[in-house]
Amino acid sequence: MLQSSSPTVRVRHTMLPPMERDAFRAGLRAMGSPGIAIAAWGVVTGVAMVEGGLSVAKALVMTFVVFAGSAQLAVLPLLATGAPLPVVWVTATLVNLRFMIFSAASRRFFASLTWKQRLLSSYLNGDVGFALFMRRYGGATEHGTPEQWGFFYGGAVVNYFVWQAASVAGILLGGLAPTSWGLELAAVLALVTVLIPMATRVPAMAGVIVTGVLAVATVGLPMKLGIVLSVIAGVAVAVLAEAKLGDRPLRRLRTPS
Amino acid sequence: MNTFNSWPYALIAFAGLALTTIGTRGSFFMLPASVRLPPRVEKALRFAPACALTAIVAPDVLTRDGHLHITWHNNELWAVLFAAAVFAKTRSMLIMMAAGMTAFTLLRLYT
Repeated sequence: MLQSSSPTVRVRHTMLPPMERDAFRAGLRAMGSPGIAIAAWGVVTGVAMVEGGLSVAKALVMTFVVFAGSAQLAVLPLLATGAPLPVVWVTATLVNLRFMIFSAASRRFFASLTWKQRLLSSYLNGDVGFALFMRRYGGATEHGTPEQWGFFYGGAVVNYFVWQAASVAGILLGGLAPTSWGLELAAVLALVTVLIPMATRVPAMAGVIVTGVLAVATVGLPMKLGIVLSVIAGVAVAVLAEAKLGDRPLRRLRTPS
Repeated sequence: MNTFNSWPYALIAFAGLALTTIGTRGSFFMLPASVRLPPRVEKALRFAPACALTAIVAPDVLTRDGHLHITWHNNELWAVLFAAAVFAKTRSMLIMMAAGMTAFTLLRLYT
């Protein structure tokens, strides 16, 4: 097919790239079932922000301004103890470093856009949207087409609105629940669900164990410096483990019969 | 009154956090194409998020008031371990969270 059958939507908005309508719809649909997980995650983050000690108004500001669930959850215990802001920011950056890798991997699809369009696209380039987009277009020979932008924005729109609506619902819910219920544990559980899939291979697991032990051992250090130190050590060990032992899975997968 | 709930502290914190979101997601979108991630750096960066999450979760669950707290009375710890086992088995975030919160609530009420 030389000519695309679906019309390209021309938006006058300078913030958005040209998009193909069908691809946009495909993006909306592709985000459908991950949307349920995003909603659950958003509710948990919303509840956790309020249970962690933020007022409802501040939690609302945080969700709309920061828009990065795992970083938000990770810095809550730091903010709650009034940790120095540079420590808060460094911790969030460490959790967000995966986005730099996403950014490097998908930049070629967005390189032809204006800087405003790139900025907005990158802001919306979260975990799920990136995974869906790369699964569909990762092997594409042409980079940066209205079809690709349409699919990306279809997913991004669902992701953004489902996430924010769920977060707001969680914030309001969190304000109602008594603190004795221990709902802040939900934040820890949510972080564990992100952590486990990241640590299924030997190098990452080695890094996680070293980081965990050191983070506990250095918990008394001033300014929460233990966090940064233990992450640096953990990453170094993971890199070393990969070089020495190879990138092996923790358990050998059973061969399909 | 904790500093957390002073508006200036919170707003400056959030503004900085928003910059980390934009700074990481936007990094290679905004940099010139000639700037590339060296493969070695990329390899190391892959491990940072898992380690950062561990550095938050481990002290939160394993310590109390700055001291190691691995006892039968640490309800959080047992609930998290149980939930992690459930997640490893089911790979479902919803089942995992339900299991963890239920375990925590039962421990809190009956031990």
